[in-house]
Amino acid sequence: MSIKTAFSLNPDPQNAVADIRTQLQDFDPKLIVFFASSSLAPDEIAERMEAAFPTAETFGCSTAGEITTGKMLTKSIVAMAFNRQAIKNSKVEVLEDLDKESYRAFNAFQRHFNKPMKEMDPKQYVGIILVDGLCRKEELIMDKMGDLTNVNFIGSSAGDDLKFESTYVFANGKSYNHAAVLAILEPATDITFVKTQSFRELPQKLTVTKANEFTREVYEFNGKPAAVAYAEALGVSVEEAPKRFMHNPVGLVFEGEPFVRSPQQIKGDTMLFYCSVKEGMELSLLESTDIIASTKQSLDAARSELGGISGVINFNCILRTLELNQKGLSDEYGKVFEGVPTVGFSTYGEQYIGHINQTATLLVFR
Amino acid sequence: MAGKIKQMIDTLITLRAKDNAMLVGIIKTKLMLKGIDSNKFTAQSADNPVLIGKLEALLKEL
Repeated sequence: MSIKTAFSLNPDPQNAVADIRTQLQDFDPKLIVFFASSSLAPDEIAERMEAAFPTAETFGCSTAGEITTGKMLTKSIVAMAFNRQAIKNSKVEVLEDLDKESYRAFNAFQRHFNKPMKEMDPKQYVGIILVDGLCRKEELIMDKMGDLTNVNFIGSSAGDDLKFESTYVFANGKSYNHAAVLAILEPATDITFVKTQSFRELPQKLTVTKANEFTREVYEFNGKPAAVAYAEALGVSVEEAPKRFMHNPVGLVFEGEPFVRSPQQIKGDTMLFYCSVKEGMELSLLESTDIIASTKQSLDAARSELGGISGVINFNCILRTLELNQKGLSDEYGKVFEGVPTVGFSTYGEQYIGHINQTATLLVFR
Repeated sequence: MAGKIKQMIDTLITLRAKDNAMLVGIIKTKLMLKGIDSNKFTAQSADNPVLIGKLEALLKEL
């Protein structure tokens, strides 16, 4: 067994980490990724996880709910440990101040792996990114990293149990906010990426004619006030439109693949989204479908592609979690991952190629 | 000169993908997320100075 998971529902960080340590006592980890409820003090959980596993690099973030094999949890810590049969090489770095462009992390990767980031083969390496979920800089980070390397980064935005006060990323035994953790892994086994969002494209198009991509605000669609155009596309009043946000977000659809942009609120005629959109983008109205069925289908496809699964890291949007909770389907969603070593969490945004919403991005190991 | 945008996009994809067919799709998606739909430009597409500027900056980074 090259990948092992553990979890604890103990509300005390010291006891929770001890619990994790006990579950992994016969395992020699090289790398551990962990996701912890914001109810567990971030500084303490980061420090104790690092101390408990001195031979491993540990990294992770705070959450809006946790996921482990067969279950969706709250107020817990979940961990996935990789030994040397799973990961040949790895390096974890922190982007400590997202307001400053920093090549320090990339320089560190280049020194560690002894090759320029531009030349790292995406078939050989994979990146994981965990970002402060309240920074609103995920698009800029992913865009910049996408220019600098072909290594695929997958990951998500940290959560804080829907308080929207402070989210944290963890590395080096510390917790950080307004920061991102980047990890580059050289897996010893095949991997694949899953981006699954449970929506169908509707014929209505909304072209962004006026927007502020940095504040994630859209002022106009199709030359009309954004809220009016969105409501018209749905055939409802502007007052009714917010009730449709979860069921009918919009998406940038490219070659049949939607990159979801979820509406957050209407302020006057302006619409605020959870993800940036650029002027000129043509967005499609989307309609939600069956999260359970589409997630199962995506996981089965990954299993067929790889010939088996030894581990899954599931970055699952909090909006999906809320929809599952509303429909009483959380247990059923957890069961999609029964028998498959899984960790993950409910996120404030997902990353794969770019920043997206209402999606689950999964890193799957054979 | 018409078609310059398509030419620049094709060059960018070729340089980034380096014969890796799987990468072509990802690079095109990255461009789409930047607001550049690579499938919309042909050899007859009119030049757009703003877009050309963006593509020049990307090519310079390479």
